[in-house]
Amino acid sequence: MLLEPRFRARLERLSLGVKGRVSAQWAGRHTSTRLGESLDFADYRPYQPGDDYRRIDHNLRARLGVLMVRQFEAEQELPIEIVLDLSGSMGLYDKHQSARRLAAMVAYLGLAGGDRVRVWAIPGDRGRPEVQGPSGRHLSAWPQVEAWLEKRPVAGTGSLRHVGRRLAGSGGSVVLVSDLLMDGWRDVLDGLAPTAGGLVLHLLAGEELDPTLAGDLDLSDVESGAKVPVSTTEEVMGNYRTALEEFATEAARRSRRAGLDYLLVQSGPRAEERALSGLARGAIVR
Amino acid sequence: MRFLVPGALGLTALAGPLVVLYMLRSKRRPQEVASTMLWREVGEPVSSAVPWKRLKLTPLLLAQLAVLALFVLSLARPFVSEATVLGPHTVFVLDTSGSMAMAGRFDQARVVALDLAADVSEANLASVVEAGPRPRVLVAFSGDGEAVADAIAGLTPGGGSADLSSAVRLARGLAAPDRDTSVVIFSDGGDGPLAEEPVIGATHLRFDDIASNLAISAFDAEPSAEGAVRTFIQVDNHGPEPRDVTVAFEVDGLAAGKTELSVPGLDAARQVVPLEAGPASSVTASFVDHTDALDLDDRAHLVVGGGQSSSVAVAGEGSLFLSALLASTPGVAVADAPGAADILIVDGGPLPDIDRPTWLIRPEQAPEGLDLVGLERNLAVTFQRPGDPILDGVDLSSVSIAEAQAVEGLTWLPVVSSGPVPLLLLGEVEGHRVAYTTFDLVHSNLVVQVAFPILGSNLIDWMRGGEAGSVSAEAAGTPIGLVTPSGRRAVVELPSGEVAELTADAGLFTNTDEPGIYRVSYLDEAGTVTAGEVAVRHFVSTESAGVSRDIAVSAGPSGAGQEGNLIREWAPWVIGLALVLMAVEWWVGHQRPGVRRRTRREATA
Repeated sequence: MLLEPRFRARLERLSLGVKGRVSAQWAGRHTSTRLGESLDFADYRPYQPGDDYRRIDHNLRARLGVLMVRQFEAEQELPIEIVLDLSGSMGLYDKHQSARRLAAMVAYLGLAGGDRVRVWAIPGDRGRPEVQGPSGRHLSAWPQVEAWLEKRPVAGTGSLRHVGRRLAGSGGSVVLVSDLLMDGWRDVLDGLAPTAGGLVLHLLAGEELDPTLAGDLDLSDVESGAKVPVSTTEEVMGNYRTALEEFATEAARRSRRAGLDYLLVQSGPRAEERALSGLARGAIVR
Repeated sequence: MRFLVPGALGLTALAGPLVVLYMLRSKRRPQEVASTMLWREVGEPVSSAVPWKRLKLTPLLLAQLAVLALFVLSLARPFVSEATVLGPHTVFVLDTSGSMAMAGRFDQARVVALDLAADVSEANLASVVEAGPRPRVLVAFSGDGEAVADAIAGLTPGGGSADLSSAVRLARGLAAPDRDTSVVIFSDGGDGPLAEEPVIGATHLRFDDIASNLAISAFDAEPSAEGAVRTFIQVDNHGPEPRDVTVAFEVDGLAAGKTELSVPGLDAARQVVPLEAGPASSVTASFVDHTDALDLDDRAHLVVGGGQSSSVAVAGEGSLFLSALLASTPGVAVADAPGAADILIVDGGPLPDIDRPTWLIRPEQAPEGLDLVGLERNLAVTFQRPGDPILDGVDLSSVSIAEAQAVEGLTWLPVVSSGPVPLLLLGEVEGHRVAYTTFDLVHSNLVVQVAFPILGSNLIDWMRGGEAGSVSAEAAGTPIGLVTPSGRRAVVELPSGEVAELTADAGLFTNTDEPGIYRVSYLDEAGTVTAGEVAVRHFVSTESAGVSRDIAVSAGPSGAGQEGNLIREWAPWVIGLALVLMAVEWWVGHQRPGVRRRTRREATA
């Protein structure tokens, strides 16, 4: 079980906020990019043959002598695309456990709000860059989503580049759960321009935030196997911390430029609760 | 600064390997990380072909070098040398005579002694001897400066004269064969007898401050015909200026009168003052509104005697000498019938029942506790028990005895003997004091010597003593002789109000340096208290003058007694500093400046 029942009950009282208009197939509760049948007035346009007589504004016709019809906002569902990074780097320090719970939290929020939720994971099977998981619009899909998120293995080298291209302009909201510790992470964030915004949950372990390495080391990249010799002098550790600070700052800046909210989360027990508090403070979850 | 082990400084060479360790590159350990992305730009250039790197003076290296330097320094045992009178073993002899109470002499001596005691260590052992009327060793061969200081701090001057000769002998007796022993005498020199030869290996620190002093030098009482007592008081003026002084009297703690005295400079004034006081009353005389250089002699005490004579009867042969003795002894009335007498003298004949204080003179049988084993002839006195009040003023060195009984017994105290043959023993039978002379007085030349009436008077006083109301008056420091009834313990109430409970076998109470009234009582197992004698210990008047003089001293064969050098080692301080630096080094080595506050806060919020 990824999420405790009490935490799920808490999520049911909340919903994801949407910054822009959604563009989707089915009606829902989020303002659409199109006009439709809701009660919210949107605009006037000249009457054209075939328009519904009931929408003619007779007050306007009496005052101006022209036939104008009223237009209303359309409300559609919010497609939420959740991308879970399960590459080799997420296997270190058990970050993937926290990542699964974070993805599950967002999925549950969406399903509870009646939004269309679809989960993705990188890397995919048999050398494919990503794999698409189950999707659904109601909490009835939760058991499937939870089981898929729980069982998806951590393996190999992952890249967000391909899935980013697939989801760019999808019209929904993109939620990325990753440590972003991969080459090309800047391009991925720059390339994501979803219509209804999204969220980057930047997950790093405590050991990555404040390393306790000591002595002379040959650091080996768990995904690529690349080695970097390091002597953990105070100067080197200081430089690392500066690089980490810049990394997080730049990730936040690029996320916001792409219309995505950004939250840095330390992995570990109750990471999802800390993340939810952070999202609530930023009014990303209401 | 010098070093006891300078060779240890060679260990500073260990700094070389330490620095080399910092220059050598250690073999790198493999460590897996999530990504090397953030580490690529932060590492310093590495060249595996060069096994060393440029030395960087880090705080860690500096701390470790400092710790090494301090430990090497402590092994080299740095020290400074200071001039001191302390030697490898120093005996502190502190004069606690009455004159040392004058003008803060003893306080100054104590300050100097305590200052020296602070330097006592295992390298500079110390002993402490109290030079009072009865010198005693308080601390012997101690390297514990605190114990030595405690012993010195606990000393106070009393009202007696110091036996400096005995104290110095006691101090010399503490000499250790493996250490030079020096003696430091803290004294005003006093006016008591000193050895003519200089004290070898000694230093005399003289304390001789002096100031004007008035002293009550004599205070006595005698029953008068009117039923009151007449007290005699003498006040000495040890200053050149004439002084007027008021003396107040108290009887049993209640004010009983005052008298004015005008005392010429360097002279004395005397007066007889009648007081309403009965037998056994405590009388105190003290100066009113007067301060001078010596407080101890500003008060005097007495206890009015019983005012009644003891009746003494002679049983047996008797002699003219005994009759003359009894006739000349004050407070003694000769009883015709032995049955009515307070004290019985048995001169030869069979041993009677002991039902009162008794002086046995060569009876036919030995009393309880003694075995008669034979006779010895042509004897001379070879031993007189030192310090015994019975022998006070008695010289028996020229006494010859024709024949004496040879007796043996463990419970009797021989005070005079000829070799193994006791001549005069003291003991107790049925709770009564008994003196036992093993020879016939008329078969010796004792009866024609001046010692006889004194010895007889002392013996009668002793036999009267121990009884309720009997009074003895001696100089401060004189022990109180005790003959404790069997099954009882003596309890002594001191002038200060303190109560001393003695062991059942205690024969003397020696803590009598304080002038005043000591009341003896006896306590049995059921808690019944029986009053005993009252002893008055008065301030020795010769101490009031504050006489001071130099004590002749000379350096010992190895320079003991001369000012030497005290080695004060720094190693404990150096080790302490090294330990503090080690703690700092540990902190420097293990501290990790955390990830910047904002990043951490964001991640863990």
